[in-house]
This record gives sequence, C-alpha cells and structure tokens, in this order.
Amino acid sequence: MIVDSIIRLTSVVAVILIVALGWSRIGAARLKKKGVEESKAKSEAKKSATKYSLIAAFLYMVAMVSVAGLFM
Amino acid sequence: MKMMYGMLMALAPATLYALYAYRLEALLLILTGVISAVAAEALFQKLTGRKITVTDGSAAITGLLLSLAVSVSTPLYALAVSAAFGIIAGKQLLGGLGKNLFNPALFGRLFYLFVFPDSILPWKLPVPWREAVDTTAAATPLEALRETGETSPEILNMFLGRIPGTLGEISALMLLIGAAFLIYKGYVRWRIPASIFATVLVVSAIAGQNPLFHFFAGSLMLGGFFMATDPMTSPRFPKGQVVFGIGIGLIIMAMRFWGWQTPGVYEFTEGTTFAILTMNLFVPYLNSKFRPARK
Repeated sequence: MIVDSIIRLTSVVAVILIVALGWSRIGAARLKKKGVEESKAKSEAKKSATKYSLIAAFLYMVAMVSVAGLFM
Repeated sequence: MKMMYGMLMALAPATLYALYAYRLEALLLILTGVISAVAAEALFQKLTGRKITVTDGSAAITGLLLSLAVSVSTPLYALAVSAAFGIIAGKQLLGGLGKNLFNPALFGRLFYLFVFPDSILPWKLPVPWREAVDTTAAATPLEALRETGETSPEILNMFLGRIPGTLGEISALMLLIGAAFLIYKGYVRWRIPASIFATVLVVSAIAGQNPLFHFFAGSLMLGGFFMATDPMTSPRFPKGQVVFGIGIGLIIMAMRFWGWQTPGVYEFTEGTTFAILTMNLFVPYLNSKFRPARK
C-alpha cells in the first residue's frame, strides 16, 4: 500500500515537472519569436508554466481516479 | 486577517463536535493538519526568500479545513503530506494568497484521495453512538445510497451527527451554526452556497429522491459554506457566483448518481471536492464574462 502511494505521489510530481519544464521552454520561445525581451519572456513563461502544470496535475489526478481501473 | 480569524471561529462548532465524536483521534488529526500546513508555508517561504505570512491565518484555515475533510481512519503522515502539497502546490507555487487558482484545502484533499485512497476506510461511527448500535464501522449515507438505492439514514441523525463521515461533515447542525455566523458577519458570498443548495434540492427532487437527504449528506454543507466561498478562488460578481454555484451543484449531483470511480481502487461516492476544483478553473472566465458594465 505504501509503495502504491509512493508511485502515485511520484507520478503527480512527474506530471507537474514535465508540464512545467516543457511549457516554460515552449512558452519562452514563442514569446521571444513575438519580439518580447528575453528576461521578460522567461519570467512570463515561468508563470504560465506553473499555472498549466497545476491544471495538468488536477486533470491527471481526476482522470486517474475515474479511469484508473482501465489500466489496472 | 479579520476574515481569516472569523472563518476559524465559524469552523469552531464543527471542530468541537469532531473532537466530541472522535476524541483523541480527531485531536491528533486536526493538530497534524494545521501544524503541517503552517510549517509547509513557513518553510517554503523561508526557502524561496519570501516574507513569512503564516500569521495571517490562511495556512491554519487550510490545514483545519483539510483535516475536517478526511476520515478518522486517515494515518497522520498521509494528512501531513497532503496538507503540505495543498499549501505548496495549491497556493505558494502561484505566488501565495490571492494568486492561487485552486482552493488549497481541496487541492490537498484531491491529492489525499488520489495518493492515499486506502486510508479513508473504514468509516467509523462517532464514539458516543457506537454502543447504541453495537458497531464501530458503518457505511456513510451516500455509500448506503449507492449500495441499496435508498436514502436510508434518518434525516435527524444526519442533522445531529450520528452518522459516519469525515471529521467535519458529520453534523449539519454544527456547520449551519458556523455558516450563520459567516453570513451574519458578511464574510461569505452567500449567492454561492444558496445556488449550490438550490441546485442540489431541485435535481434530487427531479430524480425522485429525498432532497433533505442530499442536503445533509456528504461534504456538501462543509464544501458549500466553507470551501466554495473562498474569496480567492470564487467569482467576484453576483451573476458569476450564481453560475459557479449551479455548476458545483450539478457536478455534485452527477457524481452522486453516477460516480467517478474505479472499483477496487477508488470508490468515492462524494463529488464536492471535484466539483469545486473543476469550477475553480472557470473563475477567471466567470469574472470576465459577468463583470458589470461601467456606467
């Protein structure tokens, strides 16, 4: 049971990190293309990356709670 | 800050009843929830070089709300980890109080349900009522509804708190006393609980089930009065608040009827957490859509 909990905990943290890192890179690159200054682009992208990573964590947890049985 | 301490006062009746109902187990859970939330906030702010703001009472409220939203069977470590997750992921990562997207207590509760689903069971009856029925564990009213299709527990028992459930949800009477205080003081956006409860009553009546059963069952009242009304994660304008409340009510009833569950792993019968968190996502849209026109 503890092992299951650790796996679930790790998976949520992984979702947050993957989305945050991915979005901050993509977001910063998109903003730079639009001509936004690099430091401003990075800070804007970091903010939106945090927000979207938490939304992804929420959706992931809800999805797993509702459809987890399909994969177990 | 005045409002935060007002909220703590409003939660006092439900907290005292939880202590009466579950004694030392409840005390340990409540202390763990509050201390973990406050410690997580202070530690995160210290490590990130921000001003430490634990004295504003918001972290303590998050910890208390989360501990009132868990089963008495919950291990202390599960609650501690969930409270820390709720504070850090649900509040601090986005910049702290006022910038959070989700209600931190509910985000912590979703995490708790997802990571520690086994820790919820068994549901236990409050200690003073165990001898009368000669049993400790029992199904919650919503579980009984799912299993038998009947709204079986007596409404009076649900009102007074003679049923199993999470620490804070078992006595509707105590929650109503706290809610009356919040409304009297003007600390909550009353349209939100009013529209949630109206939706639940109407939908249950249409479905041919006892509306009062649904009104008093599960964490509807705890969530409706104390969590959905969080000023940071609820709409600012009246029409938005009504839409927000109706959305929560509809999701709650949908989950009570059909459930979101995985047999053997996740078997939840209550949807208040999912409903409020889902509607939290729409708050920015509702704020822009229903912003009153300037004259």
